[in-house]
Amino acid sequence: MLCRVNLRASGMDVLEADNGATGLELARRERPDLILLDVMMPGLDGWSVARALAADKSTKDIPIIFVTARADPADRRLGEQLGGVGFVVKPFDPVGIGELADDVLKRIERGEREQLQRGIATEHEE
Amino acid sequence: MSIHEREDRALRLQRVAELLAEAVTPQEVLDAILTEGVRAAEARAGAIGVLSNDGESVELLAQQGYASATMEDWVRFPVSAQLPMSQVMRTGEPLFISTLTDRNELFPELSQRGQDGSSIAVLPLAVEGRVFGAMTLSFADEVEFGLERREMKIALARQASQALARSRLYAQEQALRKRMTFLAEASELLSSSLDYNLTLGQLTHLAVPGLADWCAIDMAGEDGEIVRLAVAHQDPEKVRWAYELQERYPPKPDQPHGVPQVLRSGEPEFFPEIPDEFLKAAIGDDEELRKIVDQLGLRSTICVPLTARGRTLGALTLIAAETHPKYTEADFELASELARRAAVAVDNARLYGEAEKGANAAQALAYVADGVVLLDSDRVVRHWNPAAAAITGVDGAHALGKPVDEVVPAWASLTSHVPLAQPGASRTRPVTVPLVLDGSELWVAVSGVDFGEGTVYALQDVTEEHALEKTRSDFVATASHELRTPLAAVYGAVRTLRREDIELSDEDRTTFLEMIESEALRLSHIVGQILLAGQLDADAVELSVTEFNPAEVAAGVIESASMHLPEGITLSLNADGAPSIMCDENKLRQVLVNLLDNAIKYSPDGGEVRIRLKQAGDGCLIEVSDKGLGIPSSEREKIFEKFYRLDPQQTKGVGGSGLGLYICRELVERMEGELSVDSEPGIGSRFIVALPSGG
Repeated sequence: MLCRVNLRASGMDVLEADNGATGLELARRERPDLILLDVMMPGLDGWSVARALAADKSTKDIPIIFVTARADPADRRLGEQLGGVGFVVKPFDPVGIGELADDVLKRIERGEREQLQRGIATEHEE
Repeated sequence: MSIHEREDRALRLQRVAELLAEAVTPQEVLDAILTEGVRAAEARAGAIGVLSNDGESVELLAQQGYASATMEDWVRFPVSAQLPMSQVMRTGEPLFISTLTDRNELFPELSQRGQDGSSIAVLPLAVEGRVFGAMTLSFADEVEFGLERREMKIALARQASQALARSRLYAQEQALRKRMTFLAEASELLSSSLDYNLTLGQLTHLAVPGLADWCAIDMAGEDGEIVRLAVAHQDPEKVRWAYELQERYPPKPDQPHGVPQVLRSGEPEFFPEIPDEFLKAAIGDDEELRKIVDQLGLRSTICVPLTARGRTLGALTLIAAETHPKYTEADFELASELARRAAVAVDNARLYGEAEKGANAAQALAYVADGVVLLDSDRVVRHWNPAAAAITGVDGAHALGKPVDEVVPAWASLTSHVPLAQPGASRTRPVTVPLVLDGSELWVAVSGVDFGEGTVYALQDVTEEHALEKTRSDFVATASHELRTPLAAVYGAVRTLRREDIELSDEDRTTFLEMIESEALRLSHIVGQILLAGQLDADAVELSVTEFNPAEVAAGVIESASMHLPEGITLSLNADGAPSIMCDENKLRQVLVNLLDNAIKYSPDGGEVRIRLKQAGDGCLIEVSDKGLGIPSSEREKIFEKFYRLDPQQTKGVGGSGLGLYICRELVERMEGELSVDSEPGIGSRFIVALPSGG
């Protein structure tokens, strides 16, 4: 809800799912440019959704930004392994989320996807 | 010669023989020979000389009837000299000279002296054909040495020889016995105590005056200095003086003679007569010291090292000065033996001290809770205390003498991160490292000291502390995580509401405000539970006990829950026959609110949630049951643990602090009750609070 409002304010089209399973289905159907994935969700959790997306040829290249309240190094490493390009730790400022999504997309376009991925694990918690 | 004269001679000889038989000591024998013997031989004077130990000289033992001034020159003279006694000792043949003229002709050296006699007879003193001395008899008149006369003198000399040899043997035996007695006493003294400072001090007193006028013991100090341990003299005043002297003229370690030399070389020094150069070198130009040394009248000295196991521990010095005769080879041997025994005693005492220290240390280490492991430079285990055995699971008997990497294969990885301190350097912090042994994992705090000859490690099993630390850090991680989620919602909603660049719909605006309200409440609830859990941990929760009816409390809880009940849930209360109890009403309410919330939360598909109260013995049973998800049997105890979650990722859509059931059980137990659970997955759960009447 928070992200939806703010992303739309940045001029993006936003599709929303309130649990993992719905989200996965939505992603397969719509193939979004970017997924903002909450790790802690009812039903399938974020990690499982990311795994399922990575296993599917049609969705494996969709960049994922994980959103979680847990940010210990193990979580960050998991995020990196699951192909995440961003890691947002709660609480965060949703006002900046549109800018972040924009930036991530631009960097991927420039071929910096791997750097983004590595950055997840090395980034320090703010 | 008349029969009468013959009988007379025989009688005189017999008389001498009797006297000699009675004489025991050499002195008594000499007296008997020189009085009765000389008289029996009808001589005017007599003298007895013996061969010196080295066989080079003749030493005059005693004389009778000669002018003492004459004899002063004959105290000692070479066997090779042209003198009657020397000749007899060389040849073993008696010498009879009837006239002075003959004598002076034969021995020109005597022509200028000894004019007071006429005839002389010099007879060899021999036992078993070995000449050991000679007896000279001088006669007032010229004597014609006829056969019988000669035979009589020879018989006398034979008697004298045997008596003298016997008495000398006796004296030697006496001296030997005295030495043995002294050594026995010394040994007894040395073994009487392990305090060798004391026993060596007593030993010096034992040696004075029998063995020496002065006896001193010096020890080699650790830094090469010479430490005077004891000095003895019969006169205590002189002892004081000796100490003073030692202080004023401390021995120089490079001194060419005396204690420093003996300590340096480990070789003994024996001066039957102290050479002048020795004293001169020691005195130097110090006039005062020269006077002191002169006054001491040092005559003869023995300095022997105290050597044990190849190490020179000290030196024993014996000095013959004002009373003691010059030292002989026998004295030197005695001193050497004494020093040997003293050294063994010192060495034993030191070894015992070290062993005792070692034993004490080992005994102390046996009771130390920390594991102590001592490795030598080859990494072989030299000490492995019981705590080390307990931590590693390897007992000392198995570990000792083996390379540590063989004893504990993980040792290298265990200690690779441990910085080794140097002895005396400031302590390094122990490093906590995991130790995997036969599948079990321990956490061990290790510190080490490198003392040159090896390494000593201290090990502490911190597995429990480590687990506690992990729980604590987990608690912080989990608690912060629990707080972040609602905080994120509140913060995010506020930030979004305050955006001026976008227009929010009224519906969105209302949703954000509701979000802020509910998430703020959730935050407050979680913080409250964290605080309460903290108080319970610190045992700082106070109970306010009153008598009340739990049915009323349950009714109140049901009533407030029914205000915002999710769809599909029905609440019911059965409180027939619930007794009044003595308890903390608010705490019980808190427990019931929690249990009811849980029951509702874990019934996502709706169903009846019921509270039932009944009497059980003196107390009261309160059951909270639902027809919800249920709890697998393996989880039934874990759900009461702090931050334990049945569904950690909340995939079933159930949120919470993870502290609710922990708090419930803690509170019930503080009220001396019990909280248990009964459940079947898919069918539902029943939480049972059993409270005593409290009356």
